[in-house]
Amino acid sequence: MKKKKRIAQKILWVLSILTLIFLWAPMILIMVYSFSNSKYGSSWEGFTLKWYAKLFTNDQVRDALMRSLIIAGVTVVIATLIGTMTAYGLFKLNFKGKQFLRTSILLPIVFPSVVTGGALLVFFTRLVHIPLGYPSIIIAHIVFCSPLAVFIILGRMQRFDWSWEEAALDLGATPFRTFLRVTGPQLLPAIMASAMLIFPWSFDDFVITYFVSGVGSTTLPIYVFSQLRFGATPVINTIGTLFVSITMLGMVLVYFVQKMGKSST
Amino acid sequence: MPVLDDVSASQSQAQKREKRKLALNIAAYLSPIIIIVIVFVFAPLAIILFFGFLKSGPYGQIIYTFTFENVIAMMGGGYGKVFLRSVYLAFQTNFLCILFGYPIAYYIARFGGKRKILWIFMIIVPSWSSYLIRLYALKTLVGTKGTINTLLINLGLVSEPIQILYTNFAVTMALVFAWLPFMILPIYAALEGLDRSVLEAATDLGATPFRRFFRVTLPLTRGGLLAGSILVFIPTVGEWLVPSIFGGSKIMMAGSLVAHKFTQVGNIPQGSSLAIMLAATLVLILYLTIKWGGREALEKAL
Repeated sequence: MKKKKRIAQKILWVLSILTLIFLWAPMILIMVYSFSNSKYGSSWEGFTLKWYAKLFTNDQVRDALMRSLIIAGVTVVIATLIGTMTAYGLFKLNFKGKQFLRTSILLPIVFPSVVTGGALLVFFTRLVHIPLGYPSIIIAHIVFCSPLAVFIILGRMQRFDWSWEEAALDLGATPFRTFLRVTGPQLLPAIMASAMLIFPWSFDDFVITYFVSGVGSTTLPIYVFSQLRFGATPVINTIGTLFVSITMLGMVLVYFVQKMGKSST
Repeated sequence: MPVLDDVSASQSQAQKREKRKLALNIAAYLSPIIIIVIVFVFAPLAIILFFGFLKSGPYGQIIYTFTFENVIAMMGGGYGKVFLRSVYLAFQTNFLCILFGYPIAYYIARFGGKRKILWIFMIIVPSWSSYLIRLYALKTLVGTKGTINTLLINLGLVSEPIQILYTNFAVTMALVFAWLPFMILPIYAALEGLDRSVLEAATDLGATPFRRFFRVTLPLTRGGLLAGSILVFIPTVGEWLVPSIFGGSKIMMAGSLVAHKFTQVGNIPQGSSLAIMLAATLVLILYLTIKWGGREALEKAL
């Protein structure tokens, strides 16, 4: 019996490792190729750092990166703020149409990006005439990132100890002061976690951004996409390598923030 | 009598005050999201619903006459086929993700031990690193001049590069590659939440491991499967990048059709009606899922 279990465990282990290889092999490959001397970036011809040097002196990449960072930065701040307010409101208040509102908030997440992107493009160009570029991109990002923030923060709120807030209010603190001194700090880990999840979402979004970006506002994903048509290029390998490395760092950071949050509550 | 009147009057006044306070609170906390939902979600959807019934002129301008042309074009022939293929591919991807995702989720939950965090980390990182870059990486691996072909030729196993790109196989593989992590994580979460004593009870009562898995474990992790399926199925139906990178012009999906009409052809009426159709398909599927599995599954998925 025990032996049988061992064998089952071994088989599962092999399957799991194969799945991991499937998920990771392409990424590891481009990471390796980013240091390869090959002009086409799809074979190994000796070690070099020149693609990284090229990446950091490439104006197009730098502009695209700056644009993506600005967009993601603004989006994170506004979407997290809206997400926190909405989650608090949905949690605390009971009113007619709440269920409907919750479902409506989900729409931008459940609709395919091409639908959201197409609808916003038509809306921006044919109805309200919001200039395509930063304004349209940032609005679009807020539209699809806020719902994410709402449900991440709402999820955490449901596991909260709310008696602290009640105590503060009972002891005569104003609602504003209560939020600032009691509820806010308690919510901080949830807010941080949502911000850290939204940032890559916004930074990495290609489809919706592509629809509403118009001409000349190339974000990093759009730059990568435009380069893809020419096949493998070493510069994209370096971008990919940095992307994965930064994601890993971010993941570790989120892990520690969550751990901090757990130990403080 | 006057006393009673007084009481009821103050009661109704208190009720009014409560009501006003509630309205004020709703305005304070929820007005931004309500504005977003109305202005930037409902209004754009309404617009494309309206445009979907209009005509497009030869230079991409919109002719404001009401027509069912787009809808009829969708029902018959090419477009309908693309939609059917999208739904089929999404189901297939979903099934394959469960097939490949369940074993690893099960392994991590039961035998992960001290390395659990590491395993989960190895699955979360691909799910959060750039989607576009991951697809590009996969293309580097399987392309005509990609690593696999170069390797096969150098080893002398084949003389000509095998055509992997632009086949059904490539699209399916890329879809599974892209969405597998989103299936593994909810299944893992469901398995973690499993009450071990139920499993022990099943064994004590004489269930074989095989029977125990199919009669106890699998039904109890239905929530996770459902959540994962929502996360995988929805984006797959509307997929644009995977078919355009791995399917070329040969294998179109609903998402690539919509994107094509909007961004390349500039035919807004047709793009709109296709987008509405896609959204309607998803809403229908989602509605059935919620009815079957409860809305918690949907919100848990997020």
